[in-house]
Amino acid sequence: MQNPSIEYDYTVAKWFSYLAILFGIIGMGIGVYIAFELAFPELNYVFGQYSLFSRLRPLHTNVVALGFTLSGIWATWYYVGQRVLKVSLKESPFLNGVAKLHFWLYFITALLAVISLFARYTTSKEYAQLEWPFDILVVIIWVLWGVGIFGLIGIRREKSLYISMWYYIATFLGVAMLYLFNNMEVPTYLVTGMGDPFHSVSMYAGTNDALVQWWFGHNAVAFVFTVPIIAMIYYFLPKESGQPVYSYKLSLLSFWGLMFVYLWAGGHHLIYSTVPDWMQTMGSVFSIILILPSWGSALNMLLTMKGEWGQLKSNPLIKFMVLASTFYMLSTLEGPIQSIKSVNALAHFTDWIPGHVHDGTLGWVGFMIISAIMHMAPRFFKREIYSKKMLEAQFWLQTTGIVLYFSSMWIAGITQGMMWRAVDQYGNLAYSFIDTVTVLHPYYTLRAIGGLFYLTGVLMWAYNFYKTMTAAKQIEKEPQFASPMAA
Amino acid sequence: MDIREIQGFLYFFFIVFITVILYGYIVHLYRSEKKGKRDYEKYSKLALDDEPTSSPLEPMEDNKQKEQ
Amino acid sequence: MFGWLEKRPFFFAVGVFVVIAFAGLIEIVPDFAQASRPVVGTKPYSLLELAGRQVYIKESCNACHSQLIRPFKSETDRYGMYSMSGEYAYDRPFLWGSKRTGPDLHRVGNYRTSDWHANHMWDPTSVVPGSIMPAYKHLFKNVTDLETAYAEALTVKKVFNVPYDTDIDGDGKIDVKLGSFDEAKQRALKYALKVAKETKRQDLVNMVENGKIPEIVALIAYLNRLK
Ligand code: HEC
Ligand code: HEM
Repeated sequence: MQNPSIEYDYTVAKWFSYLAILFGIIGMGIGVYIAFELAFPELNYVFGQYSLFSRLRPLHTNVVALGFTLSGIWATWYYVGQRVLKVSLKESPFLNGVAKLHFWLYFITALLAVISLFARYTTSKEYAQLEWPFDILVVIIWVLWGVGIFGLIGIRREKSLYISMWYYIATFLGVAMLYLFNNMEVPTYLVTGMGDPFHSVSMYAGTNDALVQWWFGHNAVAFVFTVPIIAMIYYFLPKESGQPVYSYKLSLLSFWGLMFVYLWAGGHHLIYSTVPDWMQTMGSVFSIILILPSWGSALNMLLTMKGEWGQLKSNPLIKFMVLASTFYMLSTLEGPIQSIKSVNALAHFTDWIPGHVHDGTLGWVGFMIISAIMHMAPRFFKREIYSKKMLEAQFWLQTTGIVLYFSSMWIAGITQGMMWRAVDQYGNLAYSFIDTVTVLHPYYTLRAIGGLFYLTGVLMWAYNFYKTMTAAKQIEKEPQFASPMAA
Repeated sequence: MDIREIQGFLYFFFIVFITVILYGYIVHLYRSEKKGKRDYEKYSKLALDDEPTSSPLEPMEDNKQKEQ
Repeated sequence: MFGWLEKRPFFFAVGVFVVIAFAGLIEIVPDFAQASRPVVGTKPYSLLELAGRQVYIKESCNACHSQLIRPFKSETDRYGMYSMSGEYAYDRPFLWGSKRTGPDLHRVGNYRTSDWHANHMWDPTSVVPGSIMPAYKHLFKNVTDLETAYAEALTVKKVFNVPYDTDIDGDGKIDVKLGSFDEAKQRALKYALKVAKETKRQDLVNMVENGKIPEIVALIAYLNRLK
């Protein structure tokens, strides 16, 4: 008996793809705007108090991390999950319903979150700014996803879980644990019956709060920007290129390596702060060990292309993915360097940190989500990708943008750090603070321009996707490997 | 013994533990392949061969597989 | 053992969870008890200061300002004594920040005055030419939400035993009074009037005299308290 042919259900994957594009445009649009604000402060007042830098910065981080990235993760999950488990969502009306509920609840929560941030509701904790009622919604969303994952696993046909599945499961568990602990807060209205019902106060105070926050902050980076993106690349790069993973054993080993080591490195955010010394040192040491599993995965991906480098020239999606793993290597080398105590003394609080962050987020996270969604598009719509040329142009434009971004922030950060500590011949501080601000103007401008390039690329991507959906040439059946594209 | 010391011991044992586990895992991966118990590399096909028409690499019910 | 785990998604998930949870357990829990002890002399925020702190949080000043002075000469020269863990004992949440687009503010109360702040927050470039800090004019009109601040103070007093209405240093006097909402409000108004007068802005004084504290006054009270 032949296995009955399965029809995968891409509905929810499609929805999340639309959302990723939408949030990508909004989040990076805001990002470009605040980048320009630092260069040209008059822009702060264009929309009254709603365009102040301090109002928009948390919006930027939330929309790109919790909007764009999570949508991208879920778009690929609802696609990859079915395929590697060889089971369709159509086979279980229950799981299909949960998936749709997951989407809608997430969408509504995201909208409410944006409104609440504009209205000054924030707990001030990075990546956990949302106030407690939204935290509860987030927990429900997460539980729904969990039901989806384990439900699908429960009815699978394929006994062994592909490596991407491992990473999705780890994402689910890691974020669940971190989010719960970091957001422990007491709603003041429930205790006292007065004041703003949305307001809450953190369960932890001072240094403890900082410890939990950075344990969370760092690992939120791990489990939102790293682990699920590795899940993507382990599926999409082999699939698009038609090459098996270079060493499957290495991929398994890197997985456990990452799980064991990543959580210990959070201390590097608190070097020279008031947390205990041994913990700071441990943060540094583990950050350096972390290079091993990170590079294990990245090299594994690059070696997957062994002997097939010609594809790099002919297929823009492969370009995106190969550069993504290269940027992953760059940021996982740069991070540990910044964790060395003496380097951190200089780099902490400066623009070098956003520079580092964006190597990872633009080059690695952004490129992977873009290429994954473009890989799925022909399968979603049974059409060719609308324009290969446009994809090529987008690739070069965005790569230039990233280079402008990180090179300007390197210079800015190091300049700033050196000026803060510079002394004259008598040992007095050589510069007042404002000197260290005005000197950055050209770099802030350059960064903003780099950001604009990247944003333009995102808009091209959106257009290309839209045209693929509506106007590209139809294809008869799902392509197996390389995505078909019209010149 | 105060909490710092306990922490120190836990930390030390944890390092030993992960080293043993990770090395053990490497040994396990290669040995089971050499003995022919399990071919890990074949799992990379899970991604490549996931078309609507392709059949599972290791179906859930091995028994049913045999009946076919 | 490994092969067994890989074929059983449930136990596999448990394994992953144990591995990642263990790190947090060893890393974080033992330091909780140690770090939260206040240093001598640290007192909880008064109602007005707490309201100002809420304004600081709502406006996300921490997006550009840190409150953590590291133990380097270049930092202590610029900002004053380095920060100590116990000084933050009543900070919920902590406001260390992660980026210094503007200077550290942990001891800004030592070297800036109420009128300086008022001018600066109204138009930063008029005080510091070349500044890229935005102006916060709306804070001069918004009225401080004392109720929420009071709710927070009462919550931390009840739930976390923050020593309001207590003699902390043993000199026979109560250090930070909270009392009922009305008492606390009267005290906050008195304090606000003093700050408003220091800013030398008549509009702020008028507002306070009418029983409405502008957010900027609360914010300045908070900034003055950072020492
Ligand atoms: C865009 C980033 C930015 C934001 C947001 C911001 N500031 Fe600033 N701030 C600066 C810069 C840059 C300076 C240094 C130049 C100056 O004094 O204006 C500064 C200086 C200051 C100073 C003077 C410190 C000193 O030692 O001279 C104070 C006080 C201050 N800011 C308070 C605030 C408060 C309160 C908020 C929130 C309502 C805030 N800032 C929001 C960038 C920012
Ligand atoms: C794997 C190794 C990595 C290490 C060791 C590392 C290390 C660091 C360090 C030292 C900081 C600076 C903290 C500070 O001084 O304020 C930082 C900040 C940050 N990193 Fe990484 N990083 C790594 C990978 C990544 C990746 C891949 C991403 C994103 C995809 C990323 C995103 C961030 C973010 C968002 C922050 C910002 C925190 C803030 O707001 O300041 N990191 N990281």
